This record gives sequence, C-alpha cells and structure tokens, in this order.
Amino acid sequence: MKKEHWLILILILIFFALATLYLFIGNVSKEIVIQVRLPRMILTIFTGLTLAGIGSVYQLMLVNPLAEPYILGISSGSAFGAILFGVLGLTLLMPVGGFIGAVLTLIIVWRLAQKKGSFDRSRLLIAGVIVGMFFSAGISLIMYLFQKDTMIILGTLMGNLGHIFTENEWHFFLFLFAISIIILGRLYFRSTALDIMSGGDIYAGSVGIDVQKVRKELFLLTSILVGITVSYAGIIGFVGLIIPHIVRFFIPSGQKKIFLYSLITGGIFLLCCDLIAKNIAVIELPVGIITSAVGCPFFIWLLLKK
Amino acid sequence: MKIKKSDLCLCLVVVLLILLFSCKKQEQVRSGLKIVVLSPEVGEIIASLGATDLLVGRTQECDYPEELLKVPVVGDFGAINREKVIALKPDLVFTSALEQDAIAQELQKVGIKVQQIYPKKLDDLPVIIRQIGDLIGKGQEASALSDSIATAIAEVRIKSANIFHPRVYVEIYRNPLMSVSDESFVGDVIESAGGDNIFSKLERDYARVDPEDVILAKPDIIICYSQDTLEGISSRKGWSNIPAVKNKRIYFEKDINPDLIQQATPRTVQGLRLLYAIFSEQMKK
Repeated sequence: MKKEHWLILILILIFFALATLYLFIGNVSKEIVIQVRLPRMILTIFTGLTLAGIGSVYQLMLVNPLAEPYILGISSGSAFGAILFGVLGLTLLMPVGGFIGAVLTLIIVWRLAQKKGSFDRSRLLIAGVIVGMFFSAGISLIMYLFQKDTMIILGTLMGNLGHIFTENEWHFFLFLFAISIIILGRLYFRSTALDIMSGGDIYAGSVGIDVQKVRKELFLLTSILVGITVSYAGIIGFVGLIIPHIVRFFIPSGQKKIFLYSLITGGIFLLCCDLIAKNIAVIELPVGIITSAVGCPFFIWLLLKK
Repeated sequence: MKIKKSDLCLCLVVVLLILLFSCKKQEQVRSGLKIVVLSPEVGEIIASLGATDLLVGRTQECDYPEELLKVPVVGDFGAINREKVIALKPDLVFTSALEQDAIAQELQKVGIKVQQIYPKKLDDLPVIIRQIGDLIGKGQEASALSDSIATAIAEVRIKSANIFHPRVYVEIYRNPLMSVSDESFVGDVIESAGGDNIFSKLERDYARVDPEDVILAKPDIIICYSQDTLEGISSRKGWSNIPAVKNKRIYFEKDINPDLIQQATPRTVQGLRLLYAIFSEQMKK
C-alpha cells in the first residue's frame, strides 16, 4: 500500500510541475494563459487520459496486446469526416464532420460485428480493422485530390492540439468533456466484468455476466470517446498503445487500477509531449511525432530493465 | 549476340528519330507554337500578352481570364494527366515549382521542353513576363507590359513608404493556423503596399503559426483566407482584444480576391493598389 501512495504522490507532483510549466513558460499575459493555454491544456489532458484509458480497456476486451483506441476504425471514420469537411471549405465545421464520421463508422462496425445476435470478439476486431482501412483509403484519396490542402489533412492525421475554440464552441466542448468524464466513470466500474471476461466468454457467462451486453456497451461508450478526441485533436498515436503497457509494468493485474493509472499517466504523458512539441523547435511539431519519439526509448528502457 | 545487335540497331533508329523530330520542332518555333500551361499565373500572363491561341492544354486551375476556359484541360494543378500532355505534342510546357517538380522532370525525360516559372518576389513579376514573352515570340508586347507593371509597382512603393505601416496578419488556414512570411509572394506584396507583416520570418514561406503569437503581435489588420467569418474570428477565445478585431478591420476573400495578391500576374497591380488603399485608410483614422 505504501509504495502505491508514493506512486500517486509522485504522479501528482509531476502533473503540477508540468501544468505550471505549460501555462507559464515564456513571457505571457494573463489573457493568453486563461484564454489560450488553459483551453489547450484541458484538451491535451483530456485527449491523453481518454486515449490511454481506452487503450487499457481494448487490450483486455480484445485480448490483444496490440489493441489501441484507433484499432476499431472509429478514428479513421472520424478523421475522414473531419478532413472531408475541411477540404470542402467547411473548416469551422470540421469537428462536426468528425462526429458524423465517427457515428457512421460506429453503425457500420456494429452491424458487421453482429452475427445471429452474438457480438463476437474477433468479429468485432476484424470488422473494425476492415472499416478503418476503408476510410484510410478514403483519406488517401482526398489527400491525392486536394494536394493544396495537405496541411489540414496532416493536421488531423498527425494530431493537432492547437484547436482554436470560439466561445460557443468552448462551452460545447466543456459539455462533451463532462459527458466524457461520466462515460470514463462508467468504464471504470465495468473493469471487474472486463477482468472476468478476459478469461473467456464461457467462463464469464458462468459467473453471471451478460458478455454480449457488456461488450456492446463498452464498444459504444469507447467509440463515443474516440469520436470526440479525434474530432478535436486529430489522431495521436502511441499514447493509447504504450501507456497501458507501461502502467502494467508497475501494476501487473487488476483492470480497475490499471485503468485509473492509465488515465493519470496518459494525461501527464501527452501534456509533457505537447510541451515539447510546442517548444523544442522554432516551428511547432506535430505532437504525434513527439509521442513516439519520447515514448519509444522510454519503453525500450523499461523492457530492458524489468 | 544477334539479338543484341538488332536491339542496338533499334535503339539507334529511335535516337535518330528523336533527334530528327526535335530538330523539326525547333524549326517550328515562331509560327504555330503549341504550348501547355500548368501554372495559373503563366496562363494569365500568356492571355494578357494576347497569345491564348497558342495554348493547347491547361490545368483546371488556369481559369482566368475567361478565354482560357476554351483550352482543353490536362488535369489538376497537383494531379496532371501525363499522357494527355504528351499526346498534345507541345513545343513548350510551362510549369510552376515545388509540387510540379516531378512532372517537369518526367516531361523533360521524354524530350518535351519544359520551362519552370516560379516568381518568389514582386520584383520577379516584370522579369518573368519578359521571359515568357521571349519564349512565346511576344517579346514586344511583353516588354511593354513588363515596363508598365514595374512602373506601377514603383509608384505604389513610393506612396506607401510615407504612410503609417499597420501591422498585418494573413491567415491562410485555420486548423491548424497558418500564415505567410515576408519571403513569400503575398508577404512581399503586403510589405510593398505599406503593411507590416507580423510574421516577417517563418521557417517556410507558408508555415504553421501559434495563436499566442498572433495575439501578442496585436495586428491592426487581418486578411483572412481561411473561410472563417467576422463573428467567428471575433468570438475566438483570447482574440477579442486584438486591434483588428476590436475595430472590425478584417478582410475576406470578398474584399480582396486572393488571386490578386497570391499570384504573380498583371492583376497583382490591382491587388497592390487595393491593399495600399486599405492600409493608408488606417493612417487617417
């Protein structure tokens, strides 16, 4: 117990140090801190914690260590929608395009994953991957046809945490944020069921878990979250894949704790990466590059050490 | 061994044929020149030199002036149908730089004469007009046009030197935020018209910028080509205290046609004068 308390304390300290640095680095006015940096920080933390949380859920739900939040195709659909709106000149409505894309993909994957009433694990995975590939091809097509808008497309595909909010949009985002927190809470309380389900559907069924129902619920809830993050921040790789693994180095079992620590670590990690992305070079680098560049060596070090 | 000999013969014949044809083409220069234009800027300049009838192909984007619309299309700016271009057997192909580097090289490989025209600065405009004029046999017209444009640019520069230089922010994209540097053509046009571009130095001519820097720079004027609206920009978080937003001095595509200041064409002079009018208005206030 004592060791865990230390872990929490350290994480909280790191978080506060990073947050202070993030908000006050350079010479800034109060207005910029509150109106520009704070919204960006909230978006960054939200994206990081959501991705890492979902990653930990998917890895267990799909019993696949390579599972990550973008594996079930929702992200590709969402990115496709946002990019399509962007190149058609509806730049302001890109998040809306993202939502529409996500919902559309959700419906398609849901339909494909069903087979005679059962919601099979491997069927879900395959359906997600295939639909994701289809939309990725769509994105490539848009990229080819609208070469002049490469920046919009790359901004979405490599992650862009610098979304410019208008006042109304910000209020709407806070509303989505609140909903997302409720959803994350729900996912947290589904952890035990998820733990049991990872031992096989038959076993889980025998102890009284409605496997189909839980799986459908998890898929639906996580898809909503992925849709929201991709709509506002684009696709940011690595966080959702590696953070849960890093957490498991310290906490080998118990999805409840793994989920919770993934949330905290994911938020901190992405905040750190965005801080680097913004300040390392004269030009702001896409955060997706930094997450891999920072995360990979760290993970290799962990692998060698343990 | 025998096969190799015959191959060699075939190669020789092909080379001879190519040489023959290329000689023939050079003789054709002057009279019925066949030109394909892949750059909208060059298309417009050729039209203003009264040589539209020499054009046998263009890209979708070469749509000004209207008379160019009659010319067959060979693709989009970034996706050009190579076969169509080659089938037209042009004597000369005008390309732009960067995105069209690859196609320029490919066409050169099959023996088509390619001329890249990529004006980076306002002062390049009179130069490229002469260059294009010489290449298409309209040297006289070109030098007249070139001189008048050079004079017009100099006039605006002299006038604008004496006004208060408002700080100008040009927004090309909104998500992510992108602007232009002084090194870009637009940047140069803005500076020449008496504006002070807030991002004088960027890593590239068109680059990503930080919204914080825009807020800190307090631009007096915003030129917005990112499809946003006055209400949209005014309600951006943290932007309400920017002078341009406070005074509603934000200009959109309907106010200044982007083609007038982003492309190097005879119309650039119009854009330059329009910008000067906008910038000097600031001084009166």
